[in-house]
Amino acid sequence: MSEFSVIGKPIAMVDAAGKTTGGGKYADDLSLPGMWYGKILHSPYPHARIRRINATRALALDGVVAVVTGKDAPVSYGILPIGHDEHALAVDKVRYVGDNVACVAAVSEAVADRALELIDVDYELLPAWFDPEQSMQAQAEFIHEQRPNNIEKEYHHAFGDPDKGFAEAEYVAEARYIANEVTHAAMEPHSTLAAFDLDPHTGKVGRLTVWSSTQVPYYLQHKLSLVLEMPMSQIRVIKPLVGGGFGGKSEIIPLEIIAAVAARAAKAPVKITYTREEVFWAHRGRPRTIIDLKTGVKRDGRITAVRARVVQDGGAYCSYGPVTILYSGALLGALYDIPNVQYDGYRVLTNKPACGAMRGHGTVNVRFAFESQMDEIAAELKIDAAEIRRVNLLKPPCITVNGLRVLSYGLPECIERVVERSGWAEKNGRIRRSSAGDSAATDERRTSLRRGLGLACSHYVSGAANSIIRSDMPHSTVNIKVDRDGGVIVYTGAAEIGQGSDTMTAQVVAEVLGCALSRIKVVAADTDLTPIDLGSYSSRVTMMAGNAALRAAEAVKKLVVQAAAKRLQCSPEDVVMRDDVVSKRAGDTLSDPLESAAQILETRDAPRGAVETVARGRVEGQILRGSVLQKRKEDGPKDRMSFEEAVVAAIDISGALTGTGSYSPPQDARGGNFKGGGVGPSPAYSYSAQVAEVSVDEDTGEVTVHKVWAAHDCGRALNPVAVEGQVIGSVWMGLGQALQEEMVWKDGLLINPGLLGYLSPTSSESPEIEAIIVESIDPEGPFGAKEAGEGSLAATIPAISNAIYDAVGVRLREAPFTPERVLAALKGKRIAESGKAVPTNTGITQPGGVDPTRPAYLREHGGALWFKGRGPSRHPLDPARIQPVAAETGGGD
Amino acid sequence: MKKNLLELRVNGRSHEIAAEPNALLIDVLRRDLGMTGTKRGCDDSSCGACTVQIDGVPMLACTLLAASCEGAEITTVEGIAEHGSLAAIQKAYGDWGGAQCGYCTPGFMMTVSALLANNPDPTEDEIRHSLSGNLCRCTGYEQMYQAIKAAIEAEKKGMAAAGR
Amino acid sequence: MSLPEFKLLRPRTVEEAVALLGKHIPNVQVIAGGTDLIPSMRQQLFAPEYVLDIRGIQELRGICARDGEGLEIGALTSLTTVENSEFIRRHYPVLHEAVATVASPLLRNMGTIGGNICLDTRCVWYNQSLTWRKSCGFCIKKDGDLCHVAPGGKRCWAVFSGDTPPALLCLDAEVEIANAYGFKRVPLRDLYTGEGDARIKLGKDELLTRVLLPESRAGWRGVYRKLRIRGSIDYPLAGVAVAIKIANGAGSAVQDARVAITAVNPAPMLVAGADRALVGHSVNEQVATVVGELAAKTAKPLTTSALTPEYRREMVRVFAKRAVLAAAGSGESKN
Repeated sequence: MSEFSVIGKPIAMVDAAGKTTGGGKYADDLSLPGMWYGKILHSPYPHARIRRINATRALALDGVVAVVTGKDAPVSYGILPIGHDEHALAVDKVRYVGDNVACVAAVSEAVADRALELIDVDYELLPAWFDPEQSMQAQAEFIHEQRPNNIEKEYHHAFGDPDKGFAEAEYVAEARYIANEVTHAAMEPHSTLAAFDLDPHTGKVGRLTVWSSTQVPYYLQHKLSLVLEMPMSQIRVIKPLVGGGFGGKSEIIPLEIIAAVAARAAKAPVKITYTREEVFWAHRGRPRTIIDLKTGVKRDGRITAVRARVVQDGGAYCSYGPVTILYSGALLGALYDIPNVQYDGYRVLTNKPACGAMRGHGTVNVRFAFESQMDEIAAELKIDAAEIRRVNLLKPPCITVNGLRVLSYGLPECIERVVERSGWAEKNGRIRRSSAGDSAATDERRTSLRRGLGLACSHYVSGAANSIIRSDMPHSTVNIKVDRDGGVIVYTGAAEIGQGSDTMTAQVVAEVLGCALSRIKVVAADTDLTPIDLGSYSSRVTMMAGNAALRAAEAVKKLVVQAAAKRLQCSPEDVVMRDDVVSKRAGDTLSDPLESAAQILETRDAPRGAVETVARGRVEGQILRGSVLQKRKEDGPKDRMSFEEAVVAAIDISGALTGTGSYSPPQDARGGNFKGGGVGPSPAYSYSAQVAEVSVDEDTGEVTVHKVWAAHDCGRALNPVAVEGQVIGSVWMGLGQALQEEMVWKDGLLINPGLLGYLSPTSSESPEIEAIIVESIDPEGPFGAKEAGEGSLAATIPAISNAIYDAVGVRLREAPFTPERVLAALKGKRIAESGKAVPTNTGITQPGGVDPTRPAYLREHGGALWFKGRGPSRHPLDPARIQPVAAETGGGD
Repeated sequence: MKKNLLELRVNGRSHEIAAEPNALLIDVLRRDLGMTGTKRGCDDSSCGACTVQIDGVPMLACTLLAASCEGAEITTVEGIAEHGSLAAIQKAYGDWGGAQCGYCTPGFMMTVSALLANNPDPTEDEIRHSLSGNLCRCTGYEQMYQAIKAAIEAEKKGMAAAGR
Repeated sequence: MSLPEFKLLRPRTVEEAVALLGKHIPNVQVIAGGTDLIPSMRQQLFAPEYVLDIRGIQELRGICARDGEGLEIGALTSLTTVENSEFIRRHYPVLHEAVATVASPLLRNMGTIGGNICLDTRCVWYNQSLTWRKSCGFCIKKDGDLCHVAPGGKRCWAVFSGDTPPALLCLDAEVEIANAYGFKRVPLRDLYTGEGDARIKLGKDELLTRVLLPESRAGWRGVYRKLRIRGSIDYPLAGVAVAIKIANGAGSAVQDARVAITAVNPAPMLVAGADRALVGHSVNEQVATVVGELAAKTAKPLTTSALTPEYRREMVRVFAKRAVLAAAGSGESKN
């Protein structure tokens, strides 16, 4: 008999049927009687002062109910307490093309759209900044007055003695890496439905209910309270199904507050659903990051020091910016043993949509640089890429030089597993000329295709040990209530966003209570019903909500066991709850519980051919309790009883069977005591090692990824299907960033604000991904579990870059590795081989003057140009052209 | 704008709907018929979340004028469950992790069910190819292939059982 | 954004359609598969008073081979139907290859061959929402008076991005056009203007009804190569079609040839001189390289699309060379 009955089994998500039948409801699927539709007016300018807004014409349009602007919600907010620089709707300035100016509530989206064209806004244009390195030089017209030189935040950390470390180094590598901006592109566009109760006596607006596509219902409740100036108790936030987040819904998105502001003005429910273009403007994705990285090593590959200067193009608002830039530095540690680290991080403001948290928050781009540089060093020192990582492993349990506590550490096994599964020893460095036998090579490409293998590692936090809100409150709390018929309702604030949060919770509770999974009903993320949980971000749910659920279930179990012990006439320590049966421990061996439980249990086919035991319907339970149970009660002592019997016994004593559990990260995992030291520490870290096999077409620069082997240390796989799904999904998203995803800018205009232009991979070019689960059984995690949803992403980009190097000998230092960048690098290499190397002025020395990172054409990140076009003018369809309104447009000048 | 009366056949039933000439099928399904299983994911006909079958052929409900669908048999995700229980493909997607956030899943259900209706035993390449118009942002598609294979197996078993 | 308001016309015959076009000209827009037009209408690129939905015209669907006259493809035939036609695959392989790369399987189920021929030209400054276009002050193709791609110029450089027209050009296709006076046949190469904002010589009162492939082109070997980042969904960033006739199997001299390119000019273009470079030679690396250079010379890509013009032109060169080699090496198609 295995150690667990529910844990470790491949189990279908508890909410799967709602998704495959279309019956599950997402925010935009909801509507209320009397609901109006909201549409937002966005700024056409990257940086401008608003002189005046006149909505008279819009309000006059038939079907328009309300128009709200910044003055309807003047309180500023932001996800971080130190960064309250946003307004639901602009009050004084707009700071990017797409910034929010006004909102119309109307009878239909079509009418609202028309009304937007009738709002007259008078702007005074300001100089705008699009390139972070130029933005940092700004002397005036700062994007936010309180942020001189447009620097949102800078941190300078030194751990150990970096100078000494570099002095001891026998080889030093130094280069600039750039990772361009990417976004979450979750399939569900954000949507919020807000409704106020009206006081029946006064007709005034009362309590607010908001249904929203959010990863953080409690933060939303908190910020709504702040901006609407209402007590939190008067606001209820409900999270319906969420169609993917990846961090894009992990803070307050403007529409969430705007919908409430509009509903208050309209005195009726208002729903706003973003267009896909608006999703791109809301953004909060991974910032374009410029990394100047220097690594010193001994001849054997042992790292002596690392120095990183990181500049992030954060966009127009603070968002999670300071956290992102801190993670970029902090997560240099905890993967390898690095004795000396110097980190200089700059989060810079520019006139573009705000960047925020995205899967692998802060670590991904720096990890790309670091793992690429490791590969470069290995090649230079002629050390195997797996070996150079082995010699730099941590020796846990330990505290890293920057104060991160590492207990479980499955990285060594991850490396061994991918090396073994991928045939690394036979293939790396040896297959590049084998394209003649390549099945993927058609006749015409036979001479141009080269194969290669690359390896890289990564890690990630299992939740942040320090909350962004400073308080002693536990990070997760879970309540459980058990019904008399053995139904278990779990109330958790954790936000299911497709990652399996509800399923994990149900599994943990079922395992502890020893009951069938089908008994568990998870009620999640409703601020009226569920206790506070910080939300789904930084991979915290399994570690924190999982531990809280475990503790809540243990509290319930304690009550059941006490009641059962009386009935079983044994001490509570001898009561065993398992497989829906509560029994007396028979000596040292457990009796087979299934035997006696047969009458109330049936088996059914579980996923992947397993057989699972489930309780039959509730109705049968009622009958049981009424007759059979009663009879059994009178039968006197016995050595086993059904879960229901035990529950009834407990309820008969206490009147109700409930339990609460909560989780706070341990004090010794909360990090060092220095400015910025709060970001990075986690109760536990996941580890990942990957090998990617690619082929590169030397004539076109096209890169094909054939397969990725990804080993991930998740502590313990509570649900292997879900863990594999998370690992594969992370690798796949990393692949997108590595090869094709990029937000392309020109003068602050996003050139590709749609799923046609933003190239999320299709099934055609998505490679086979083999997920390999490594279990290091973490002492802190629930049943030993750590995170699985983010950590793998960061290794994929450098694994692919390193494979490209293995295939064709060029080092791609700018992601994504689009065919034109790869081809430019290949040309550069050819020129270099002919002996004419020319340095370029961007810090990346590419031979022959070919610099794939030179901003060209549409990829014009640079330029302090603020506006080149002739400027927005009215569309011919605009009724204003046909019937100009003299009043008030255009201001007093 | 003046509405016209339309008669649409959806999942085997006729519905009379008053809709504007510019009403898209997706909006009529979601707003007028309350069939919210068909999802909107983009505005440029590129994501496949709104896939429905028109006379058995998968198409994008966001790109069809509702009025153009008069006279056609429209099938949505609400119409593919069999006899009140999950179709094999629906069950398999749940069991094998084919759905994570689930937002793209109805679209995939429509694409895959059309594929299997025309080609009950597709090769891996055929599966990969036929899914390539539907975007998923969670799964990397990998577990979908496993789910589709499992559904094919389940169908075969079911057919064998029925033939006994 | 919601679609602009319009009145919908649903003719059942070509005659009816042409009459309606004549009646409502110029405030009428034809819609077939809608895969390009509907997104464009959401972006307020088109706001016609009337939309003429021709999907109900059954006579414009289907593929029909006529002895001695070649092949007739109804304009409303879906791209999937063309892709699945065994006859086309065997006799007009270049068209088969091209059509199989259009967008995605879903979009090919909806999109029509006529629509692909009449596809609007595309540009990153044009295919954007109304709000977006406002931000750049609009462009010369729609609502504005300047070109962001070639500032200072008065010409629109929006790029023609259909996949099937280069293949059809290689096959000397003609199109049948219906108007108030009846039907006329126009060689496809004469349909396009080369102007980004007036791409096609099709009157507002005219309807493209059929595509005609000459029988004399049947049996030519053909290959289409498309540059795109994703394996599906994407419009071409460059495309090259090659059709050649080799009498006596691989290795012998080319008897006739056509090479055409797409997605790098405001119109699909036949590569001038490609036939001369190929005819009379047996295909080898050198000959193919020459064709590649000619194709690259014909290509005039600008910053209308995602990748740089230099790269797209370079790929026209590489793909043309490869396509020529692949076409010559491909198994002889049977008549």
